[in-house]
Amino acid sequence: MPLDYQIAEHTLANGLRVIVSEDHSVPNVTVNLWVNVGSRHEVEGRTGFAHLFEHLMFQGSRNVASGEHFSALMAAGGRLNATTWFDRTNYFETMPRGAMDLALWMEADRHGHLLDAVNQENLDNQRDVVKEEKRQRYDNVPYGNALIDTYAAIFPKGHPYHHATIGSMEDLDAASVEDVHEFFRRYYAPNNTVLTLVGDLTPDEGFASAERYFGPLTAIAAPFREPVAPLAPLTEPLRDEHMEDVPADRLHLAFRLPVDDTPEFFASSLAIDIIGGLATSRFYQRLVRREQIATSVSAHAMGFVDGVSLGFLAIDVADDCSADAVEAAACEELLRFAAEGPTEIEMESAMAQTERGWLSALASQEERADHICHHAMLQGDPGYINTFLDRLGEVTADQVQQVAARWLMPDSRAVVAYLKQDGDAS
Amino acid sequence: MIHQESVAEHDSTIERPDVSAPEPWSFPEAQRSELANGLGVVSYDIPGQYVISVRLAVPMPLEREPREREGIATIMARTLDEGTARHTAEEFAELLERKGIALGASASESGLIVDVDVPKRNLTEALDLLSQAVREPAFPANEVSRHVKIRLAEIDQERAVPGHRAAMEFISTYFDPDERASRPTAGAKETISAITPEDLIAFHSANVVPSGATIVVAGDLSDLDVVSEVERALGSWREAPAHILEPREAARATDAERIVFLDRPGSVQTEFYVGCPGPDRRVEGGWAAYPVLGFVVGGSPNARVDAVLREEKGFTYGIRSGFRPRRCGGMFLASGSVRADSTVEALGLLLDILGQARDGFTEEETRAGVDFIGKTAPGRFATADTVADEAAALSLEGLTTEFTTASLLALADVDAEALATAYNRYVTGEWTVIVVGDASLYAEGVRGLGRGEVTVLPA
Repeated sequence: MPLDYQIAEHTLANGLRVIVSEDHSVPNVTVNLWVNVGSRHEVEGRTGFAHLFEHLMFQGSRNVASGEHFSALMAAGGRLNATTWFDRTNYFETMPRGAMDLALWMEADRHGHLLDAVNQENLDNQRDVVKEEKRQRYDNVPYGNALIDTYAAIFPKGHPYHHATIGSMEDLDAASVEDVHEFFRRYYAPNNTVLTLVGDLTPDEGFASAERYFGPLTAIAAPFREPVAPLAPLTEPLRDEHMEDVPADRLHLAFRLPVDDTPEFFASSLAIDIIGGLATSRFYQRLVRREQIATSVSAHAMGFVDGVSLGFLAIDVADDCSADAVEAAACEELLRFAAEGPTEIEMESAMAQTERGWLSALASQEERADHICHHAMLQGDPGYINTFLDRLGEVTADQVQQVAARWLMPDSRAVVAYLKQDGDAS
Repeated sequence: MIHQESVAEHDSTIERPDVSAPEPWSFPEAQRSELANGLGVVSYDIPGQYVISVRLAVPMPLEREPREREGIATIMARTLDEGTARHTAEEFAELLERKGIALGASASESGLIVDVDVPKRNLTEALDLLSQAVREPAFPANEVSRHVKIRLAEIDQERAVPGHRAAMEFISTYFDPDERASRPTAGAKETISAITPEDLIAFHSANVVPSGATIVVAGDLSDLDVVSEVERALGSWREAPAHILEPREAARATDAERIVFLDRPGSVQTEFYVGCPGPDRRVEGGWAAYPVLGFVVGGSPNARVDAVLREEKGFTYGIRSGFRPRRCGGMFLASGSVRADSTVEALGLLLDILGQARDGFTEEETRAGVDFIGKTAPGRFATADTVADEAAALSLEGLTTEFTTASLLALADVDAEALATAYNRYVTGEWTVIVVGDASLYAEGVRGLGRGEVTVLPA
């Protein structure tokens, strides 16, 4: 079905791209900012820095006290946060229309004048908080580091996606106030940022408010670089095995995929769904339903911009079964899929589930704003939200087969295995 | 490339804008009716929501589970669509996926909720499949044993994750051992392993009945006749009403006020799960104050707890607290994890902060909390799924979204005194405390805090 979310765009003199999507269904506005810096821009010895920096954006700026970004906006009915990922950093809040100008004023203050408030004390405090985030999400839970190991296995050392956004404890320890200044001056500027406003406002109102608060900010020398050279699929399998105190053996099968926003990536994403994402996926039908040698299968295709994307499938091995047997069966299914391609029903199913997922994502102003910023910044196309499903619909079964035969072959897999310490039940 | 002179030092200080009052908003309006078989139909027309959210809520208190088959409600929920009178499990999954339908089901202390999300044009097919799953499940032996195995694996996974482990130990310490609430909703290894297809067939036919159940349909309903659609799918569903149990509050254990330290050697963080009694939604004086208290005490990085433990001390990524209502009675809970070597200091501080809140709240805190809860409501209930979830969950407690509306309106009367009264009524310092961490390093220190008897157990 054709989507027609309103999109209006205007670029300020300082280079800030402003996109407004008018939607009066709720008397709210979502403010969403994407800054074109993520962990892919980090240098050796400073992994985790983009994310630590994002935390400092809540510790005050020229006219905003530490913590006030949260407290002032929440007290006005705002829900807000920020996240850091390989390709970018985003900052977002949703609040009643009458608090939009306050949000923009506060955003402009920290995006323009953060360094007035950065000091050793708030750096040390947020470094501690980030280390607890790392311990909570990665170090103190079973399989917590599996994705970090997966990135390190599938992307070569020195590649932008080789290290995870959370970084390492040593590098977090090494971060200095000087690093914060240098990073801010290098990456945080209106001409390296996209601002999207979605909700109860007109484009003219949005552009005027953006001009009022962000207009005075100064552009910087272009920090942009071309994407790094494309990566081809692995030519032979890689393996990274961990014997740990985990409740069950778990296998992560990772593959390089084509860069995001290409027909090849869309095809690979459908292939990943059909192989492991759907409730009727090849892996689920065989490993979980019929042979019952696994208890769960999940699959994701993550689109990136720097020459490659990532596909991975996680499989929990059933208690009395061998991880090797599960992996062998999975490889057989990969070969079979590459040889046969998807059935008509599989294509229909993967398309239908992607459509529902996409419509559900766009159903909330918050997620819609985030998707608009994403594609405006990384692909230059703020209208992507309206055209994605049509473009996906053009992908053919042949294309899905071709992409699988090139990118999703057993020889191109990197396997990160977490195996029970007391020995593999076999 | 654009270059412009920096004028920042001269005129960058744009005056801080004022916040103007929000536009009026009200919870989406419900259309209600009832089919002849006793099934309530509630719909919410939310223009622009192209994925329709359907929730079928069947009251089914967990106390109906046989003691030796606990978890049967969960296994039933998970196998409703794994083979029906007309389709095998694989066929059924394919029928759902080809139409872009997401169907799931889960059991809670108060009932079964089957949830369906579907693009609008496929609503008819989705309701038909929902009806088949709910009315005609076949519980094939192979699918039942598979889901039992999956649940057993899930129990091992839950035990290994400190947050889950703490939550499980909390209910078994907090509630009287005779209460169903003291044991996991989804069952334990022994009771799950005993479940057969015959058990499921009997449990299903005794409990999954239309009388007293509610179906919620939310989304862009223009050009749809929801009642006719539901009537066509579920109008012929006839089963005798289930035996109604009067809800009653689950008793707290006589020795609940203590500290249990679960030893997890080598943990780099320590998990806390701290709780005491709280109200249910029908509490005298009204529910409105309690979400505000949850926010003010532990609902944001600047709330009482994290202002100290996160923003001042850097001990945690975040500890959250809030009142959790049950069908009858409820709890106040605070939970989260801290750096291992801060365990003793952090637990002492957490209990101090929760205790000091009995001295009351400032006008500023009160206003911020009331405004947060009230003014975020339009955004929190802007999508079809959130509206449907709210309506379905409330229906299991015999409430409607009129309750949500009334609680939001009642915020106008919540002042600092009302907050203090509500907090002091429940948070009286009689804590059940679960600690999951390295006992060899920190159990003695926790004992030294003098906050209650400490029992050390393996995790």
